Amino acid sequence: MTIDNNVSDIIESQKTYKRFGIGQRLEHYILMLSSTVLLLTGLPQKYRDFSWSQILLSTPERLEFIRLIHHISAIALTLLAVYHFGKAIIKLFQKKLSGDMLITWQDVLDAFGMMKFLLFIKKEKPKFGKFNFEQKVTYWVVAIGFVLMILSGFIIWFPVGFTQWFPGGAVPAAKLMHSSEAIAAAFFILIWHIYHVHIERLNLSIFTGKLTEKEMKEYHKKEYDRVEHSVKPKSGAK
Amino acid sequence: MKIWQNKFNLISLAILIMVLLLPSVGVAALQKNAPAFEGGQPQTSINNDAECLTCHSNQAMSVKFGIQEQKETYSLFVNPDIYNTTVHKEVGLGCVGCHVGFKAEMGHGFNFNSVREATLKLSEACGRCHGDLNDAVMDGVHAKQLATGNVQAAVCSDCHSPHSITRIKDQQTGATNPATHYLISTTCQKCHSEIFAKYSQSVHGSASVADHNPDAPTCTDCHGVHNMEDPRSAEFRLRSPQICAKCHTDLNKMAKYGLSINVMNTYVSDFHGTTITIFEKVSPDAESNKPVCYDCHGIHDIAKSDDPSKGLQIKENLLKTCQKCHPDATANFPDSWTSHYIPDTEKYPTVYYINLFYQFLIPGVLGGMGLLVLLDFGRAMLDRLHKPKRKPTAHPKLSTKPTKTEEEQDGDGN
Repeated sequence: MTIDNNVSDIIESQKTYKRFGIGQRLEHYILMLSSTVLLLTGLPQKYRDFSWSQILLSTPERLEFIRLIHHISAIALTLLAVYHFGKAIIKLFQKKLSGDMLITWQDVLDAFGMMKFLLFIKKEKPKFGKFNFEQKVTYWVVAIGFVLMILSGFIIWFPVGFTQWFPGGAVPAAKLMHSSEAIAAAFFILIWHIYHVHIERLNLSIFTGKLTEKEMKEYHKKEYDRVEHSVKPKSGAK
Repeated sequence: MKIWQNKFNLISLAILIMVLLLPSVGVAALQKNAPAFEGGQPQTSINNDAECLTCHSNQAMSVKFGIQEQKETYSLFVNPDIYNTTVHKEVGLGCVGCHVGFKAEMGHGFNFNSVREATLKLSEACGRCHGDLNDAVMDGVHAKQLATGNVQAAVCSDCHSPHSITRIKDQQTGATNPATHYLISTTCQKCHSEIFAKYSQSVHGSASVADHNPDAPTCTDCHGVHNMEDPRSAEFRLRSPQICAKCHTDLNKMAKYGLSINVMNTYVSDFHGTTITIFEKVSPDAESNKPVCYDCHGIHDIAKSDDPSKGLQIKENLLKTCQKCHPDATANFPDSWTSHYIPDTEKYPTVYYINLFYQFLIPGVLGGMGLLVLLDFGRAMLDRLHKPKRKPTAHPKLSTKPTKTEEEQDGDGN
């Protein structure tokens, strides 16, 4: 029943709003694929005491192979990060960076508002802009987490090169951080991100690049109002 | 004696072997433990050791082996004072118990071309009683060497002097007698003299050889006895950390010397040890270039960790050790190894605090996010249950809006 309604919703929604460009959608594909491969090839290295891990890593050849896959994915992820932040920096200098993703005071208020709603103190969810606080938190946790992963990963990949200039004590620290941050990030993505884009609602905008008018009004009301140049849209909502 | 040696080769051979006589009583006593002698009882008319010793207690008694110029002289003297204290004498195994095939005739029925041949042949008798040990020896590196044609490879009597053999193990505990523990390395030294020279200077060797400290490992503590494997094999290499761990994780033993018992778990939790341990468990014959204990600490020449020239507590020594595998390593590099310390506020504090941080962060992420998600899901479900009359189109997704928003949106949608 729900599915039928969803389908009818989508069919009814004629108008769509562009949310992600093709470049951003590709970025997400690369991020998703590389981080999945990194997680899958990293876990057996971390959890070496488990028999499933030992079967995977049982011979020097297999271990080298798994590490090779890990390193190739790591390079893909690193290039992605360089592209992503490089583009942001260039845009920043051109004063073209949108700032949609920056966490503002409003996000803190929204988070409190959401908590109140979840605890039945308020009856309404806060209204969100283009990216709500949950999406911003996702972005920044992933961004910071992956930068940490990349930095610590390269330190333990090239310890000899790293210690030509930096103190050796950073290597075991990086090793610990790499394996711990991976678990923290994996939990975060599995619980927070998967819930919000699959279970709370199926949000495929990162693949399609757009939101329907209905979705815009429901989840990004402020952005919808802004785009429509009117605080009170013509459809007549309060 | 000259007469024996020079003129009557065959005669001398025969008489010399007369040494070996066994009381039939003794043989009978042993038979409950031992496999039956092939061909029945030793064929002898001589039934006690005393008769053998009438000739073989003569210090000058010897035999020459070999043909023509290549003659080796082999003493056939058995010191009765020592022989009578041996464990074999004690249990009643007399001369003929070992010298199987004895005949009461000149040369006693034995015919060897060399001293070594005699030793190899006579050593075969040990397995008649010590079948289990003999089987173990057959799996060992010495027997394998022998099988490839190296007749110098050690057999039983090379290590266990046949005519002076005493009890090695304590009869009550079954453990090697601590008082004679230090003598073991001198046995191996007979062939492995170069290694013994290194060993006796090492931290282990000096404690054992010079101080007779039974805590210090002697050859057999690491290499095993009888079935010792080739220490150059990949299996031995992967398994070797377990050998060191036997003592170095023993709290009682290590506390005496102020040594840490964390050496193994810290090794296993770092790159090198992780890899070695996995291979050891899953593919024990894998060739790995990852270091095991002895690659850094040395083998027979292992030194104290604060030894000025070799000790790994000395930064320069450690760097040199790292450079064996990481040739480009510079002075900072050795610090990337936590030197068997478990990081704390003193040693490797960065690692300690990062660990602490994640110990809170990971459960925090798991719990906090999980809680929010559950609240969100719960609120959505409750809303759904409490508004059954609402038309389904207002609930396009499981967990969407509360009443008011829905109303608004209905309005919007229409």
